[in-house]
Amino acid sequence: MQPVPSIKSRPVYEDIGIDPAVQKHLFIAQTGSFDKLAKLYQACPSDKSCWIVGDDTQESLPDNSRFVSQDGIDTVFGEQFADLPISSHIYVAGQNESFLWDIHNLATRAGLASEQVKMFEPVTNQRRLFCTHCYTLTEGVTHSPYECPGCGRLLLVRDHFSRIHAAYVGVIINAEDPNDIPETEELS
Amino acid sequence: MSAAMKVHVSAIRKVAPTIKEFILTPADGEFFPFSPGSHIVVEMQTDSKTIRNAYSLLSDPMDNRQYRIAVRLQPESRGGSEFMHHEVHEGDELTITPPNNLFSPDWRAKKHVFFAGGVGITPFMSYIPEMLRRGADFELHYMYRSTQTGAYVEALRDLIGERLHTYDSITSSRAEIADIMAHCPQGTHLYICGPESLIDTVRYRGQQTGWPASHIHYEAFAAPKPGKPFVAELKKSGKTIYVPEDQSLLEALEANEVEIPNLCRGGVCGQCRSPVLDGDIEHRDEFLSEKEKSDNRCIMPCVSRAKSSRLHLDI
Ligand code: FES
Repeated sequence: MQPVPSIKSRPVYEDIGIDPAVQKHLFIAQTGSFDKLAKLYQACPSDKSCWIVGDDTQESLPDNSRFVSQDGIDTVFGEQFADLPISSHIYVAGQNESFLWDIHNLATRAGLASEQVKMFEPVTNQRRLFCTHCYTLTEGVTHSPYECPGCGRLLLVRDHFSRIHAAYVGVIINAEDPNDIPETEELS
Repeated sequence: MSAAMKVHVSAIRKVAPTIKEFILTPADGEFFPFSPGSHIVVEMQTDSKTIRNAYSLLSDPMDNRQYRIAVRLQPESRGGSEFMHHEVHEGDELTITPPNNLFSPDWRAKKHVFFAGGVGITPFMSYIPEMLRRGADFELHYMYRSTQTGAYVEALRDLIGERLHTYDSITSSRAEIADIMAHCPQGTHLYICGPESLIDTVRYRGQQTGWPASHIHYEAFAAPKPGKPFVAELKKSGKTIYVPEDQSLLEALEANEVEIPNLCRGGVCGQCRSPVLDGDIEHRDEFLSEKEKSDNRCIMPCVSRAKSSRLHLDI
């Protein structure tokens, strides 16, 4: 279930359907998240292809799936997206929210409109954290406060989401008194 | 009207059978550069009323010596274009607003495609110098009827050569809009300025073919159309205002010293939104959602009117 955002910038993931007017459909899933879009993939009658980021796992994937390593997505998708016809949709499922937005940002840089990138609610609630003090990005954050591996500050993980960094913002939680260490809470 | 400026009409010339161009220079001080796609609002004082119409600037945005506008004679309208064509002479003084922009290019586009219909060429006249300076990829599809419109074709041909595609409905075939749209590369943005039918065609085609709607930009020449006369009652100021058939509600309010914020005067920007207490609204704007329109609780007085004989406004 998606948390109800208390902050506007926190993304909400809508239900996704297939628009029959659209010419080309590209499905992209991080390893382990194909299930999220399997139904839609099967239901899509038009010109479609399926990409998996990561390795071939035991998941039941469509025959013609192509695989890309996480390190390769910039180059592979960068070119792929630029060659799409203008009438295209991209569907993304991921373990982490940051993955969805990394793909979104690659697509918009290639010229697609934001509304052409359809994102499924992420599987986990792991966040990418952006430290507003030293700009370090940390993956897989599930608790607040969180000690920044870049500068060692104890960060309050805010619900404010930066689409450019595909990350949540962290700000020092005990600026006044470094000994004041609030209790750790799980993020939703 | 925000921060009115006085200008001189320094030259007037015919640029097409029904289109006149006006060159405006500052009455005092200096003009400032504007962004491509900007418009100004010209105030016209007729015997009986004040008309304010928005016109796109068609000069080079970096040229601060002059502002240029082109006005097509529209005899079926509320008299603004007739006033410009018949009552305004070289050397006259006019009052305008500083430039505002509701139609600027999206510079993130990989390619820009312009559809201009008739006098809808005007905003693109200010786009092009800036596009050339930036080395942007663009093409212009210009549709007109040479017995009426078709201004600047020669100048455009000199300026942009093969990037200009003209379609004169008197002599040549029509633009294959569907075809042009189908061949746009990824990252293209479309811009349309012209009659509603042209805008509708392109938008409809976009829906049919899965074009990203946010990459289709348009601007209608949105001078308010005349309608039935009605009476507006204002709750806060206690005024009762008669709105004749050829005046917009906004103009009638202004004539009675009720100032309403406004920008486009064409029902697209949302600035003039005003609450309605009672009466049936004839919505003519592009701004309110279908839901807001059917709720009948607010009106865009720059273009919309009353269906009933009275409208009670909470202003
Ligand atoms: S002034 Fe822009 S909507 Fe009325």
